[in-house]
Amino acid sequence: MSQYIIRRLLQMIPTLIGISIIVFAISQMVPGDYITATQNPNMTAERAEQLRSLYGLDKPPVQQYFIWAKNMLVGNLGDSFQHKMPVTEVINTYVWNSFIIAFVTLILSWTIAALVGVFSAQFQYSFFDKVVTLLVFLLMSLPSFFIGLLAIKYFALDMKLFPTAGMTTAGLNASGFDYIKDVAKHMILPVAVMTTLQIGGLTRYFRTGMLEVIRQDYIRTARAKGLKERTVIFKHAFRNALLPAITLLGFELPGLFGGAMILERVFAWPGIGQIYLASLNLRDYPLMLGFTMFLAVLTLLGNLISDILYGVADPRIRLK
Amino acid sequence: MKKRLSLMLVTLMAFGSILAACGGDESAAPADTNTPTETSTDNTATPDESTAEEPDATEEPAAESDSAIGLTEAEDMSLNPAAATARTDSAIIGLVAPQGVFNPMFYQTTYDAYVNNLIFPSLLKIKGDGTYENDLAESIDISDDNKTYTFKIRDDANYTDGTPVTAGDYLFAMKVYMDASYDGQSDPLSWNVVGAQDYHDGKAKDISGIKVVDDKTVEVTVSDYDAMTQVNLGGVAPLSEAYYGKSYKQGDVSSIKELNNKPMGAGPYKLTKYTAGQEVDFEANENYYDGAPKIPKLIYKVTTDTTNMAMLQSGETDLDNVTVNEDNVEELKSMGFLDVDVLKNNGYGYVAMNNNNPLFTDPKVRQALTYGLNRAEVVEAAYGPYAEVINIPQSDVSWAYTAENINTYDYDPEKAKQLLDEAGWVEGSDGIREKDGKKFEVNFSATADNPVIDALIPIMTENYEQLGIKLVVETLDFNAIMEKKDKGDYDMFFAAWGLTPDPDSTVYVTDGAQNNSGYSNKEVDELYKQGKKELDLEKRKAIYAEIYQKINADAPEILMYQRTNMNAINGRLDGWDVTPYKEFPYSLHQVEISQ
Repeated sequence: MSQYIIRRLLQMIPTLIGISIIVFAISQMVPGDYITATQNPNMTAERAEQLRSLYGLDKPPVQQYFIWAKNMLVGNLGDSFQHKMPVTEVINTYVWNSFIIAFVTLILSWTIAALVGVFSAQFQYSFFDKVVTLLVFLLMSLPSFFIGLLAIKYFALDMKLFPTAGMTTAGLNASGFDYIKDVAKHMILPVAVMTTLQIGGLTRYFRTGMLEVIRQDYIRTARAKGLKERTVIFKHAFRNALLPAITLLGFELPGLFGGAMILERVFAWPGIGQIYLASLNLRDYPLMLGFTMFLAVLTLLGNLISDILYGVADPRIRLK
Repeated sequence: MKKRLSLMLVTLMAFGSILAACGGDESAAPADTNTPTETSTDNTATPDESTAEEPDATEEPAAESDSAIGLTEAEDMSLNPAAATARTDSAIIGLVAPQGVFNPMFYQTTYDAYVNNLIFPSLLKIKGDGTYENDLAESIDISDDNKTYTFKIRDDANYTDGTPVTAGDYLFAMKVYMDASYDGQSDPLSWNVVGAQDYHDGKAKDISGIKVVDDKTVEVTVSDYDAMTQVNLGGVAPLSEAYYGKSYKQGDVSSIKELNNKPMGAGPYKLTKYTAGQEVDFEANENYYDGAPKIPKLIYKVTTDTTNMAMLQSGETDLDNVTVNEDNVEELKSMGFLDVDVLKNNGYGYVAMNNNNPLFTDPKVRQALTYGLNRAEVVEAAYGPYAEVINIPQSDVSWAYTAENINTYDYDPEKAKQLLDEAGWVEGSDGIREKDGKKFEVNFSATADNPVIDALIPIMTENYEQLGIKLVVETLDFNAIMEKKDKGDYDMFFAAWGLTPDPDSTVYVTDGAQNNSGYSNKEVDELYKQGKKELDLEKRKAIYAEIYQKINADAPEILMYQRTNMNAINGRLDGWDVTPYKEFPYSLHQVEISQ
């Protein structure tokens, strides 16, 4: 097993090199750079040249790539043009805000989707199943900013149940438990909206997985033994139905840290998604490339984790 | 197989995200969140302001265009939500997230500048009309040859750590500006300070043109002066050398940048806490030389264009900048407890024509294209009553503005046709005008999701079809258009400029850094040179009036509109003095809570 992991990790190296070349090449092909994108009306041609040489944008692309790659090897992603601080620091500042809502959303949406999926599979084509299916497709097709705004309108402005936006109450200066409580209160709406949007697809996965398992011979055997339906479903069927979902779980890893560009904006949540988007738009290459590489590493790791988990969970699969 | 798949997935993802960025709306490019400006004294407006708008065009034009602009006071303060009235010793200002670059030399966005404005006073500050007055400076003496500037710093000016603001701190700030590793937005070498280049190149340990006469007096010599020299030199905010200069070495300003999120200055407020992406907390500086601020605690709270109105409504913020459109203005006014202040934006939108393209070399053709486009209809469709058609590239609140001898190019298709005939473009058999066998076909590079472009394209296509001109529209990313512009490979595109308080500019100067259209007029070049060199305001007014008249006649581009910005302010705060040039942070030290 450990041999397998080491081999997979080593295989990641050429993959990452390939990704870095492609990502860098794309960034070079995209028109404009930070200086043109900021559109400063006072920028003189001389100053623009000075800045390009300070930022190293005047070097030939191949040289720029190797400088970037070399720095990356020693963990230096460079300084963000906009933030005037190291990219790693920028990511570290914002990524955890994205992580906490993504993590809570992940737990909630998987729990709810698993339960709902199992029940609608168990009672396939029942009234409950039909209602759930309808709801699921309805939620999947809603644009996130729309329900986000709607939620703010009804729950925050009209009913005054939750704060409208942001992550903390301005000027509260709370610490410890009060701080956690404050953040939790602000999290409810964005997490609820994100969960609603994610449950849709997941429920379908669980339902299909469950339907497949329920038809297996061993389930019939279990029922024939006279086991309680609950035991059959949750002990025998559910665990097997989870197997395909494990693959999915690995892919969630980059999503946990990637941020939600649209919803972060709607709820003024200080996450990394907005920061990443701004770096793309403003051609803040160090931040844009650095964060893309960060996500690439997470995606590859997520892949590896799901393969390993699969091997652990399903004895039929042997990792070599 | 699986590995290959994962590689593909990752690369696709990377592709996707970057392509999304360039295929997406141009609004993105210089989006509202990121608008760099020059030094803190030129509070330039957002470059390319056209892009910050929401893509919802307004439906119904209101009665009078002038009545829409200006201040509407709150009507019923009893409607003020409890959340707002409960804040008796603090005010909360909503704004787009600053990036934590709290240093007047390095900041990249307007929102960081709003923070810096409260912490770092300069020697000069801007007045409501776009001219400047003394701030940290007690007096400024200028030598007869206009090359030596002696600044005397106020005796009562102290940093928030209790140490006095000294002439040495001014010199220190200048050294940082002139340092080779300085990567802020200003162009300090263009100030022509004697010895600056040598310091920049590392040939000298000191800037020979800056002499510290005594603790509070500094003398700056420049090799060449112009109208901006005093503003450039006076716009510098002294930086406490004791605080910022501990580990500064010539050629490396990184130690100063490391303190970006722990600013320390002599302004009306001091920063107590900064939480990235969430809020910036300030406390009044009781010893502020211009009198202690009346509001003890100030909070800049991060909002977005989707939340700013809701937060004003719930009383969570006291002030915010909201996109101007009729729906928003209506809603804010109907809340009853908000002062709604619609201000002219420092900037203008225009349709650039490639003056080097044979299609547009003849001024008659350019005039015809201006006459032949119903600009009033376009502006109405895009902004309703909250923007006005302009005919010179200057804000009508600027001292340099003139309406004298300016042709207004009111929509007149007959006149346009006549001008085109005169220019030799005659209608061909298919109704399209031709000259020397070439058809009049214009390629318009448009960005997606821009309210002005959405309004402009259908009207322009129809208007120009009437004239016998075919308009071909291609949709491109804003940066792609800018690249085509740099290569001179375009016919027409729409963009917007921000305006600085001073009318000096390179937009219409032959080969100027900002000259997008390739316009060239020797007289205009000469006048711009004169205007920059002249120090007398009245004389400058006359020069710029002449410049604008010439540009107006040459019609190098189709000038479209000057739009507006809107501050919505909770009526409980009084004492504002906000103009398009003097933004709200400059008032905060004098504002008080009345409810």
